[in-house]
Amino acid sequence: MLVSPFEKGLKVIKLAALVAAVLLHGPLFAEQMESAHDLMARMAKATRELNYSGVFTYEHRGNLTSAKLIHEVRDGKTYERLLHMDGVQRDVINRSDNLDCVRTGDMLLRGHAYKINNQNYSRLQDFYEFHIKGDGRIADRQVSMVHVLPRDKYRYGYVVAIDKESGLLLQSVLMSHAGKPLERFQFVDISIGDGSTKIDSQLKDEEFDNVDQKDCVQLTRKIVSQPSMWQLNWLPPGFVLASHQSPGASGQESMMFTDGMAVFSIFIDSVQGGALPQVDAKLGATVAVLNNVDINGQQYAICVVGEIPRGTASQVASAIGIAP
Amino acid sequence: MSDHKERLEESLSALMDGEATEMETHRLLKALAGNSQLRDRWKRYHMASAAIKGEPATTSVDYSTAISAAIDQEPAHRKSVLTMFAGSAGRFAIAASVAMVAVLGVQQLNSPAGTSLIENGREVSEFAGVESSVENTGPAIQFPSGFQPIINARTVSAGGNNKNSLRTTPELEFQQQAQQQFKQKYSETELRAYLNSIMSKHSSHAALNSNQGMLPFARLSEVGNQSADEAVSEKE
Repeated sequence: MLVSPFEKGLKVIKLAALVAAVLLHGPLFAEQMESAHDLMARMAKATRELNYSGVFTYEHRGNLTSAKLIHEVRDGKTYERLLHMDGVQRDVINRSDNLDCVRTGDMLLRGHAYKINNQNYSRLQDFYEFHIKGDGRIADRQVSMVHVLPRDKYRYGYVVAIDKESGLLLQSVLMSHAGKPLERFQFVDISIGDGSTKIDSQLKDEEFDNVDQKDCVQLTRKIVSQPSMWQLNWLPPGFVLASHQSPGASGQESMMFTDGMAVFSIFIDSVQGGALPQVDAKLGATVAVLNNVDINGQQYAICVVGEIPRGTASQVASAIGIAP
Repeated sequence: MSDHKERLEESLSALMDGEATEMETHRLLKALAGNSQLRDRWKRYHMASAAIKGEPATTSVDYSTAISAAIDQEPAHRKSVLTMFAGSAGRFAIAASVAMVAVLGVQQLNSPAGTSLIENGREVSEFAGVESSVENTGPAIQFPSGFQPIINARTVSAGGNNKNSLRTTPELEFQQQAQQQFKQKYSETELRAYLNSIMSKHSSHAALNSNQGMLPFARLSEVGNQSADEAVSEKE
């Protein structure tokens, strides 16, 4: 069949248009992706390094609570105070002595790859997609809305709002796989920088809970885990160990894992007397899966708790065994 | 009769919130077919919800009548017995697939977990929820509020102030039975205290290691509220 010159020309034009579209769109797309990552990295930094104070709400399943937060950096130390505004009076006061202490979650969020072993690296973008979804206004500030979509079923997605000026996280909504909000943090009012409330400098040192510094990591170095009698035969992909607590006097061993966005903890207790019932509990977006194992006549309660899908938690719980 | 109606309406609002149980959904789908009042209510709920969310209020278009009319008008191509049968089967299949979508949609809302991931005896059978629960050995505990036990990963009836759990009787029986079994070993208060303490520890973990700074501590206020009446001392 003969192809007329006209048709041929049309084909060339079509092809050229396609190539142009790819060339033009490609870099644009990459830029957008990059800036979403940059935003997340900036957020990780801002949350730790800025002075800010404000009131935020926490909402899940129609329950709403609010809390006042002060974050202050003074002489290379971080002071934090969180006061619950309703219900039982609770006041959390933290101090961490080393501003430079970067933790695993932080590092992943800043876009660094985390070395699992010689072959494997964990990177945030391997497990989430980031999309900037325009602008918004929260707590009377201009924000960029970012959708964080999980690439698999092992973790949830997020809708976050990041302050354009400071990079602070002003809203974080945990989304189920069906796109239903599970919980929401949102600032209603925030002051950033010099105008922010400071923590009472009269507070004595012993009034602060000192934040453990042992889990600080250096870039691409993983934390040193103490030998444990337990081993995990399965981890949801992308999750790495961020903290490990040996069973001390309390007899409770704990491990904490993060993929940069989500966090779950495993607690292993030796149980005296009757076993704890095998139960799955849920508080807001947090699930807790409680399992029992019997090892040489000793009962252990294994509890996996975190803001992860229940299936993931159950699978982790059943993958815990004794190290050979 | 009015009690039945009331229950349907309650179920309907539960479905709106994505909290209807499977049984409720079935009942609703059945009732909706022949109850225009209920269908109107469903529309109103959606309009109200759209209004609350600040979405443009769409004057809701009811496709159902148009669709069934269109199906009725569809000319039958050949009138053999086989195709007539196939035709009606096809019609049924459409209705069934719509129903399936509705059921699946609701179930997905109900179960955020990737249920297929669950292994090791904690098998989740969405459709055989009640039956499978009988086989479960894991006891259930009736939590007053907040912490909602999900018995061996069953997804039905969550919610601290849940009215559903009172209605599905097989579940209730199961819970009581399990509770007796369980009381001999461990008290509910103890378990709750244990879960609460674990929750606090997890939150401080999360606060240090997530992108949210101190925000995860806010989750604790719930824990605090519940343990207040139990005099569970918690200092975090």
